[in-house]
Amino acid sequence: MSEFKTPFPDYDVLDKWGSPSWNDQTREAVRERLDEVPPRRFLTEEQWSLLEAIVARLVPQPERSDPVPIVPWIDDFLARDETPGYRYADMPPMREAWQRGLDAIAAEARKRQGKPFEEFPADDQDALLTDVQNNRVDKQIWGDLPPGGFFLHHLLKQTVGIYYSHPAAWSEIGYGGPASPRGYARLGPDERDPWEAREVDIA
Amino acid sequence: MPPRQPEPSHRPLIPVALATLTAAAGVGWLLQRAWKPRGNRNHQAAQALGAGAAILCVSVALDSAIEHYRGEFKDRAMFVGPTMALLGLGAATYVAFRPERASDTLPRIALFTVGATGLVGLGFHSYNILKRPGELDALNLFYGAPMGAPAALTLAGLYGVIAGEMLSGRSYVKTRLPRHTAGLIAFSLMGTIAEAGLLHFRGAFQDPAMYLPVTIPPLAAVSIGVAALSPRATTVAEPLLKATALLGIAGPMFHAYGIHRNMGGWKNWSQMILQGPPLPAPPAFLGIAAAGLGILPLLKEPQK
Repeated sequence: MSEFKTPFPDYDVLDKWGSPSWNDQTREAVRERLDEVPPRRFLTEEQWSLLEAIVARLVPQPERSDPVPIVPWIDDFLARDETPGYRYADMPPMREAWQRGLDAIAAEARKRQGKPFEEFPADDQDALLTDVQNNRVDKQIWGDLPPGGFFLHHLLKQTVGIYYSHPAAWSEIGYGGPASPRGYARLGPDERDPWEAREVDIA
Repeated sequence: MPPRQPEPSHRPLIPVALATLTAAAGVGWLLQRAWKPRGNRNHQAAQALGAGAAILCVSVALDSAIEHYRGEFKDRAMFVGPTMALLGLGAATYVAFRPERASDTLPRIALFTVGATGLVGLGFHSYNILKRPGELDALNLFYGAPMGAPAALTLAGLYGVIAGEMLSGRSYVKTRLPRHTAGLIAFSLMGTIAEAGLLHFRGAFQDPAMYLPVTIPPLAAVSIGVAALSPRATTVAEPLLKATALLGIAGPMFHAYGIHRNMGGWKNWSQMILQGPPLPAPPAFLGIAAAGLGILPLLKEPQK
């Protein structure tokens, strides 16, 4: 896997903090996201530590001394039972899907190597997750929960969604954060407002 | 439950509109007091044409500088518009103060260059609209390069040249030149009305004051058009042209209020100067109306 390099090395979206780009409402929303990381309320300690290990493979952040917190926010929406407003027809309701899915991955790991997923070498963790994604799993463990569906719609989508909700990830991709109140005046392709991130040639 | 948002009301607009129009009337009155044309009616008309051209050029210079800056001067030709508007401003100001020199070689070359640039710009802007997917459709007319802006440069050049002709002593100065100029001014007004109407339509006339530039100036345009044929209409044209001039002064104040109403208001000026209602556009009405007011006395009765 090639190492990711941001084309916006000098850009920090938080520099917009006191600028006309953001107002009090935006600052408050971003501050909550940065400072008020929720504690564990829904997942068991085992599920939490397993999910930490899975997330570290889905969105590895080896270069960050202070990684973007992801598991606390998954636990948070599960604790509040904040669904997207629908559920997948072939899966149980959100909370149940997460509990069963995580427990199934834990059981799958124990069946394969006799130890928790967290203790697997990274390559083996990737191999197991790839098998889950492609439904190459033990039907006895998973029952009627579709492994690929759980992996894609719950695990992967939520992990990526939460990662890219964090200002550190915004800076990395040159995103300006909430366009509130200042939006964009130059909307055409290859146009850039002065308050947008400037891309540099990293090749 | 978040507090319920208040219904958008037009009521606060009434005092704002009244205050704006009062302020505009005050500025207009002061301008009128400060403006002391000398000499005979032809001289005064030439001065007014020069002043009108200068105001048009200020409007175009600021507007095109802002809009082309927004377009990041992607094409080097985009520097031409603001530059030529500045040249036009210089030449027209000179004509306004020294109309008897308007036909000298240098100002004349400048005025012709500015006028011709406007025509070339019109070509560029048409190309900009037509090269977009959908070609000549409403969306491209709304968001593509505006047709009215370069045309205003051509008008400014023409006004300046006509100012020189007014003092040339040629025979047509006493006969058809004032009437043709009045026709040109009616045409100029119609063009500006079309531009303002298109963009105010794009803005869904979401503020009642946005109807003003599509009601008063059309009447002024018709009246000065009629005055070109029948001298009696000048008495109607004069107040209407004055009202149009007032609108040209009030416009930027209304547009400043429009920026205030946009997301983030004036605190978000760096976006809203570009995206909100254009501050320098409405004075085009003032420029054309000033030229029209200058030409009116020549229409009143046949020249001796």
